[in-house]
Amino acid sequence: MAGASTIEVLLVTLRVAAGATALIALPALALGWWLARREFSAKSVVETFVALPIVLPPTAIGYLLLALFARSGPLGSETLGFDPGVLFTARGATLASAVVALPLAVRTARLAFEGVDPRLEWMGRSLGLSRAAVLSGITLPLAGRGLCAALLLGFSRALGEFGATVIVAGNIPGRTQTLALAIFTDIQLGDTRGALRLVGLCVLIAFATVFAVERLLRRPKEGA
Amino acid sequence: MSAAVFELRVQATFGGFELAVELVSSARRLGLFGPSGAGKTSLAESIAGWRAPRAGSIALDGRTLFDSARALALPPERRGLGYVPQDGLLFPHRDVRANLAAGGGRASLRRGGQRALFQRVVEVLELGPLLERRPATLSGGERQRVALGRAMCSGPDALILDEPMASLDHALRQRILPYLVRVGEEFELPMLYVSHEPIEHLVLCEEVALLERGRVTAQAPPADLFASAWHAERLDQAPRNVLRGTVSTSTGDVARVALTPEIALDVSAAGLAPGARVVLGLSADEILVAIRRPEGLSARNVLPATVAALDASRAGVVLRARLEPEGPCLDVLLTRASTESLGLAPGARIFLVLKSNSVRVLSALAPSG
Repeated sequence: MAGASTIEVLLVTLRVAAGATALIALPALALGWWLARREFSAKSVVETFVALPIVLPPTAIGYLLLALFARSGPLGSETLGFDPGVLFTARGATLASAVVALPLAVRTARLAFEGVDPRLEWMGRSLGLSRAAVLSGITLPLAGRGLCAALLLGFSRALGEFGATVIVAGNIPGRTQTLALAIFTDIQLGDTRGALRLVGLCVLIAFATVFAVERLLRRPKEGA
Repeated sequence: MSAAVFELRVQATFGGFELAVELVSSARRLGLFGPSGAGKTSLAESIAGWRAPRAGSIALDGRTLFDSARALALPPERRGLGYVPQDGLLFPHRDVRANLAAGGGRASLRRGGQRALFQRVVEVLELGPLLERRPATLSGGERQRVALGRAMCSGPDALILDEPMASLDHALRQRILPYLVRVGEEFELPMLYVSHEPIEHLVLCEEVALLERGRVTAQAPPADLFASAWHAERLDQAPRNVLRGTVSTSTGDVARVALTPEIALDVSAAGLAPGARVVLGLSADEILVAIRRPEGLSARNVLPATVAALDASRAGVVLRARLEPEGPCLDVLLTRASTESLGLAPGARIFLVLKSNSVRVLSALAPSG
């Protein structure tokens, strides 16, 4: 192991994944709702754009972020006049994981919103409820399980992020070294036992989150 | 001349279907009748504000909800309507109590009227035992009663009932119909009742509009509409005459129904409790006419009446008789020959003869409390 304990790696990983989930929570739900409930002419363009990170190589995303936040890039310290503190920091790892996790969360959130009968929302309004009251009292509770699954799925994806993270945030033990990066390091150093331990940990966490996602996405029993 | 309650002028194209409705009525309980696919639900949803017509105007009880000429389109939450769709659309994540209370935020309810209204609705629709249940555990009939209750509890200015009983079987309809009658009578709200069941219109509505292929093609009191030649094939299911009364006494399988304090009718029906409010249906061709009081008949009902009008049509003569003293009118279908041989003319005193088992109980509601 190169300088960081398993616990330390685990903590960095959870912090990055949780941060990424928090970062995408609102945009993912808003985008999911927008795509589920609104019709507009450029909708398929937006859909494609949102889905892009799923198919792009994560390293390509990492490079784009790197170019964006490079000193003279559009969001670099020279342009902004201050250092956004993204490159080679935990913040960068969080951002990279968030970008990669977003499309998965948006797609799942969209499905959750599409599963809510829009006529129930109309009925809420006919009963005198405002749009906001319909959203909070009808749409969100009815889509709730699917929305939880969306965030958990984003969290799972962020946990395993490697390509974009390593380019934007590097592989700094104790700061940006997540489980995925630590496994890579252990293999590079020939520490097969260390790698195996981390892989086991990964499998455990992944199993737990995906199991929870599946449970959430299963149709709840009527009247339960 | 009473003011128009419903002023519906709707031009719309929904999914390739053309709706061009022109319907003005002063009836407070207006029926909308027509085959499926005629645009009934499209019209109901346009009134509720769930769909936007291309042009036209919608006003209920003098209040304009939509007017394309003034670019006015109130959002659904400001239309003040209680809307009950065919499938009820109860909120599946809330229990019945929360469903009923879902619309409690209207301005008209804010001054403490909400609790009283809630209790009254729960009482009228007998929802008390259901309050803690989840919609998924309710039967079809219970679900529609809750949907109706939820609409009532929101303190609406008018009711739009879109085939509220279409998903129910015949026996259930018979059980729900009296509740609709009761809501209509107790809350006195303007009501648009959409259905393809003539009997429901006969029991509930003062006037019925016939909607065919997106257009209103006829508009008349239900008995007249369903008796017209166009609907001859439905005449056997839809009795020409509808009477309302209260059960005064009941012995075994015959009940005596008081239509007015002076006029009563014997009806073959088991299980009608004294005090029950009933709606009775009578076919026009099952009533006999006599010019002297007949004696020694098996028929239990011999009612004095006066000929109010005679109307000859292809099918025969429709005699409109007013029950005496000062009772409701009944239409009787006679042949031309018998009309002439009896010498019937407006003003003539006659007797109507009815078998107790030719009277159908369309709706019966036991006295509450």
